[in-house]
Amino acid sequence: MSETKLDYNKKELPDKLVRLGYALLIIGTVLGIVGYYTDSTRAAYTYLLMFMFVLSVGVGSLFFVALEYLAGADWSTPIRRVPEYLASTIPFLAILVIPLLFSIHDLFHWSHAEAVAEDKLLAGKAPYLNTTFFIIRVFACIAIWGIFYLFMIRNSQKQDATGNQNLTTKNIRLAAIFMPVFAITISIAAIDWMMSLEPHWFSTIFGVYFFSGTVLASLAAITFVVVMLKEKGYFSKRITNDHLYSLGALMFVFINFWAYIAFSQYMLIWYADLPEETFWFMQRWEGSWAVFSILLIIIHFVIPYAGLLSQPAKKDPKRLKIMSLWILFAHFYDLYWLIMPNMEASKQGYVFSWIDFTFPVAMIGLIIIIFNMRNKKSNLMPVGDPKLERGLNFRL
Amino acid sequence: MNTEKKLYGLTALFDTPDEIIKAAEKVSGSGYEKFDVHTPYPVHGMDDAMKLKPSKLGIITLLFGLAGAGTALLFMYWALTLDYPMVIGGKPYFALPAFIPVTFEVTVLLATLSTVIGMLTFFFRFPENDHPLHDSEYMKHVSKDKYGIAIFAEGPKFNESAVKDLFQSLGGKNIQVVYYPVKEIYPVFQPKFILFLALVAIITSGGTYFTLNKLMFMDPFNWMMNQQREIPQSRSHFFEDGFSMRVPVQGTVARGFMPYPYKDEPVPGEVLSNPTFPARENIELGQNKYLTFCSPCHGDYGDGDSRLRGQFPNPPTFHSNRSREMSDGMLYHIITVGQNVMPGYASQVTREERWAIVNYIRVLQRAKNATDADVEMIKKESASNVGN
Amino acid sequence: MTVDYSKELPVVEGRLTLAQIEELVATPLDTRPDKKFFIALTISGSLLLFGAFCVAVTLLTGIGAWGNNQPVGWAFDIVNFVFWIGIGHAGTLISAILFLLRQKWRTGIARFAEAMTIFAVMCAAIFPILHTGRPWLAGYLMPYPNQHSLWINFTSPLIWDVFAVSTYFTVSLVFWYIGLIPDFASLRDRTASKIKKIIYSIFSLGWRHSHRNWQHYEKAYMLLAGFATPLVLSVHTIVSFDFAVSIMPGWHTTIFPPYFVAGAIFSGFAMVVTVLVFVRKIFNLEQIITLNHLEKMNKVILATGMMVGYAYAMEFFIAWYSGVQFEQFAFINRMFGPYAWAYWIMVSCNVIFPQLFWVKKIRRSIPWMMVIVIFVNVGMWFERFVIVVTSLHRDFLPSSWGYYTPTLYDTGILIGSFGLFFTLVILFTKTLPVVSISEVKAVAEGAQPSHHGGHK
Repeated sequence: MSETKLDYNKKELPDKLVRLGYALLIIGTVLGIVGYYTDSTRAAYTYLLMFMFVLSVGVGSLFFVALEYLAGADWSTPIRRVPEYLASTIPFLAILVIPLLFSIHDLFHWSHAEAVAEDKLLAGKAPYLNTTFFIIRVFACIAIWGIFYLFMIRNSQKQDATGNQNLTTKNIRLAAIFMPVFAITISIAAIDWMMSLEPHWFSTIFGVYFFSGTVLASLAAITFVVVMLKEKGYFSKRITNDHLYSLGALMFVFINFWAYIAFSQYMLIWYADLPEETFWFMQRWEGSWAVFSILLIIIHFVIPYAGLLSQPAKKDPKRLKIMSLWILFAHFYDLYWLIMPNMEASKQGYVFSWIDFTFPVAMIGLIIIIFNMRNKKSNLMPVGDPKLERGLNFRL
Repeated sequence: MNTEKKLYGLTALFDTPDEIIKAAEKVSGSGYEKFDVHTPYPVHGMDDAMKLKPSKLGIITLLFGLAGAGTALLFMYWALTLDYPMVIGGKPYFALPAFIPVTFEVTVLLATLSTVIGMLTFFFRFPENDHPLHDSEYMKHVSKDKYGIAIFAEGPKFNESAVKDLFQSLGGKNIQVVYYPVKEIYPVFQPKFILFLALVAIITSGGTYFTLNKLMFMDPFNWMMNQQREIPQSRSHFFEDGFSMRVPVQGTVARGFMPYPYKDEPVPGEVLSNPTFPARENIELGQNKYLTFCSPCHGDYGDGDSRLRGQFPNPPTFHSNRSREMSDGMLYHIITVGQNVMPGYASQVTREERWAIVNYIRVLQRAKNATDADVEMIKKESASNVGN
Repeated sequence: MTVDYSKELPVVEGRLTLAQIEELVATPLDTRPDKKFFIALTISGSLLLFGAFCVAVTLLTGIGAWGNNQPVGWAFDIVNFVFWIGIGHAGTLISAILFLLRQKWRTGIARFAEAMTIFAVMCAAIFPILHTGRPWLAGYLMPYPNQHSLWINFTSPLIWDVFAVSTYFTVSLVFWYIGLIPDFASLRDRTASKIKKIIYSIFSLGWRHSHRNWQHYEKAYMLLAGFATPLVLSVHTIVSFDFAVSIMPGWHTTIFPPYFVAGAIFSGFAMVVTVLVFVRKIFNLEQIITLNHLEKMNKVILATGMMVGYAYAMEFFIAWYSGVQFEQFAFINRMFGPYAWAYWIMVSCNVIFPQLFWVKKIRRSIPWMMVIVIFVNVGMWFERFVIVVTSLHRDFLPSSWGYYTPTLYDTGILIGSFGLFFTLVILFTKTLPVVSISEVKAVAEGAQPSHHGGHK
């Protein structure tokens, strides 16, 4: 009955976009490899940056899917396929991570045995920060995300054909188990890949900090894709600006949440003024990094906050398109700010290098290609989902 | 009874939300401007049906929120950096991260209160308990479970019978005519009212006076004044010797206090030597202290020309040979313990300041007895200064 | 499993009409209180009086009457303050955050939870004010031009507390009152008593259920919710700053702000469930405050309980990872030191027992949930006890180590605060509608136009 009113036809992405994706991927990768042979450390850091970005968007999207099931939300059901597609980068993480494992020595100070031998603090952390356990953790996290991804997505896909409501129940259960697991794994990922770049520094909120950025970035990616696809007529016309408003409002909430977490971390360390904690921020105040640090507040909080403050702004597709791209950039900038100052060559201040642009370009191409692959295989709207009709009827 | 009652408007009741939406669409579509819908709870879609413009309430919130943030931040900046700067916890005076919590709270407080007060007074014009619709049958119903619509007589298109027909065609029930209630009006200058005002004034001012001038000096508010501590110069009931001020323990020296052991030394100039270097800051300090403590008797230039006009015997000039030949130590000793009529200045002028005064006296002496070489030097220096 | 996801669960059960809803909610206000009411009031009133006695003794002798002493300078007073402020977080959370998330089930419980917020903040405010030692001089906490020409220290977290708690109280009160205005109007129009009518008229400000007013009203409600949400987070964040800006091991940790907020929601929801279970039974509100409501709240308790567990684990891990020996000692001392009993009560009540809520049957069983939420209440009190007292009782120098034991007056004021809380709650149930009449009417079946949605 609802099929007739759905007003949805499956369409494939234009070839031009797909070709662009391949072009970006190839150019980026080739340049990246050239970069690796010019400055292997810099290339490794850039690669790590790209990896963390793909991870944020992918895992964050999976979190969004799980959240919808768990909260019983209906407004997001019609667009749920977008986060599902974006989450499909997760299985690729297992391949993407391999080059990083080969450059562990370039990235992590603690992986050098001679450094650990002469540093008591590092020796104390050795049971956690050692190469073997590190690799185990990396693959364990990716495997866990992968398993939840495969099961949840499979259930959602199956429903397209059968419309079986039990699949929703199953996914709700999976989502409930996923949440605590997600909290632990995302914290481990944040601590391992980014906090341990400076192995002497520690902050209990760091996992939450990365989580806030992750969710924000994936929300921005989802919003951008939804607005683009909606404009080009890929969705049912019954998806209105009210649906967009919900996405805009969620982004606004997480902009504030990020600022809250970032402020809490900075303020507590600034106030207590303990040298074993402040040096991490001091490093980001060294030379030109100071400008970077101040710009972070403006780029990641002030501009998106002002851009999405008013109610009409959260509904306006044009505004949402610009703001979601901006937030994606802001998340990239945030990761840059977290990762790059740890590099030995840029400890005195920011040093420009063309290598920083290589892998991110490849990353954009990769996300387009993966999205297209998924789109070919399945419907862009979960046509069998029992909540779809409710979701399409959603009004503020 | 009273046929001259002023007409307020017509009301009709409906049973379902669908009906009221349809009625509102119809009424607003027929060109009535002065009408209102009354429902026990907000009905979705009514804004469009009534063709209402979006609420402008957010403007008040935004303005007052910004005002709150600005005021809080500026006030803290002024209080802790300009008015009473104080180093707290080694932080800068303008410790922005530490100001953010209070700024945030004040912003929220002002924004929310202004929104609510603005809505009630500016948008609703409340309180309004004498509205014609109150206590009507109509109000009793819309308060509970019916949906009502009212068209007011003040509108331009109002016509009693036309409105009645419109309501009937829509299927409205209980169509009623509402009149303005008869209002009783009292003059302002009534003895009762004036008495009331006077009473309020007396109570307010009396209460304020009592609180500020009496209550704050009663128990327990003045407990801080009666503390169990010894007051200097008073008799102690605690110590055996009855003194509340104690002498330092034998062989100890208080912090920042340097004993002066040469009080009775016959030739202290021999044992004391000037520990300071006559740098610019030191000379300026000396000048400052000299003009404060020494110049009243010794004169601004040390000529011994007292400003006190003979109330005391004039002190000797600093430009006599005897004075000029005195060692720095001797001058310091005289300032510290006094000489003839002059008392010691140890309690007013610190050790460092005394040496600075000695240095300044040397400057005065050299200036009064300048040699040609000195004049040459000054000329040279001023010339090089011009060159700069 | 036979859940139909294509339809929303009805918020109000039993297809009540609008008039029936109003009748159900308003009946306790129109009837005379029965014997049970007075028995309950006597019990809570006696607790309150006992607390008042202990406060009086404290005022006369000073806070030396309490067990606080070096090195444990903060003890029951601060523990109770943080505990009550935490309880006070559920109300505004339910009315603001769930409103913004458009969770319709909030309507049945929002009014009650908001009232509990206000009462809990009142209970909380007692403790820091008493702890100042001279509560009658509390006016000094405000910045005003005084004869010393001094200003308060705006960089002190304790001053932030003053601003946060007073703002929170004011905004909660305003939020609550705004929600009450339409209900006052409904009560005004249905009551037969003349005195009641005057009172209701005054408080309803002349509300006429006009849609021109409803429009602004809804906008205002959304704006208030938008502000109350960050406010609610900021209050417990600032409470956590009281501890976290210091350099005390066990206090200074960056996760404190979100951890405290999660804990506050956790304990607040537990308290709301505790009280609502009784209220819905006594006042026959089972159709408005349904089992579905309680189950959803239990889910929130489960989720926030796990967040708190995450924070415990993260603190431990980072204490070890940091390599700072003071941090490591503080946490090992928590687990195995003289206050280990408090620590294990905290962990079992906050992290272990709520895991039972994974089982649907337990989530929906009144006796089970009663036991678990009471455990949570106890556990959250002990969490604050562990944070405050265990961190303090081992100073940096072993010569200044100590053990804190509360005196009669410490315990008495805590009991008294419960007395105050429940006295206010009991009085509230008989004086004001415990459920928002207009909001519940709005979510009843058939209350909104049918063509809404597919219409445009």
